[in-house]
Amino acid sequence: MKFNRRKLEVTPPYVSMADIAFNLVLFFLILAKTQDDSNRLDWVPAKATGAQAIKNPQVSITVDRDNKVYLNGQQIGLRELAEKVTTLLGDKPPTERSVVLKIHNETLAATFEPIMEAVSQAGGEVVHVIEDERPS
Amino acid sequence: MAAGPVGGGSGGAQTAWVLNLLTDLAFNLLIFFVVCASSAEDEKGRPQQMPSASKEKANEQKNTNIEVAIARTTVTVNGTEVPLAELKAKLQGMLAGKTRQEEKVVVVKSAKDTPYSQWIRATGAIEQAGGMITLQLEEEREVVR
Repeated sequence: MKFNRRKLEVTPPYVSMADIAFNLVLFFLILAKTQDDSNRLDWVPAKATGAQAIKNPQVSITVDRDNKVYLNGQQIGLRELAEKVTTLLGDKPPTERSVVLKIHNETLAATFEPIMEAVSQAGGEVVHVIEDERPS
Repeated sequence: MAAGPVGGGSGGAQTAWVLNLLTDLAFNLLIFFVVCASSAEDEKGRPQQMPSASKEKANEQKNTNIEVAIARTTVTVNGTEVPLAELKAKLQGMLAGKTRQEEKVVVVKSAKDTPYSQWIRATGAIEQAGGMITLQLEEEREVVR
């Protein structure tokens, strides 16, 4: 007996593939956004004038309510800070050497001054994250 | 990008299939714009030019430059207490005749218990007045971890 083979016509599901590719783009977009853990830390910015939008920050240092210091979301001691920031900044050009400081508004100078000194030693440009206050 | 249903089908089924795709697409676009909108909220900050803090350098500059001491509730300029609201005007007057960068250096000394909110306002006023901030650090400081 002879069977007739049915010829299967397989069309690649282009629409589904585009959907998957699009979803992957979204996935990586969200992933990149949540990579900086400093967004989840508990701190309140100080109010001051002269705030500008920060573009493409490379390094962020956060000091939370409990005086704990975080470098890019990872807790760190003040002694190691200058060395780590130097490593992170590497040989980057001056325009990419911004170090964003997210310091809780009640933090005392005993904590935040050594941080600024460490950033300065590492050759970074300090950018204070503040809540813009209208000049009176 | 064209793709048709494999094997065709009745008109109604095909319409349903296309509608399904369009709904998918619309939903994906919606998520895309939501993600984009949420990431567009840039943080705001103030860049600060700060020469490397040096204890010796600060001591040398102490005699020639303006010295601003920031404490928990007060700000003093060369030993005279100045209300924070008047700091900018006061410094503008003091820096008025100075043209060289090194003359515009303002040595900032902070008490250990100075809160960041006070410090950022005072240093903001110094910068707005045209001063260049240099931190004067104490010799020994307890490291807070």
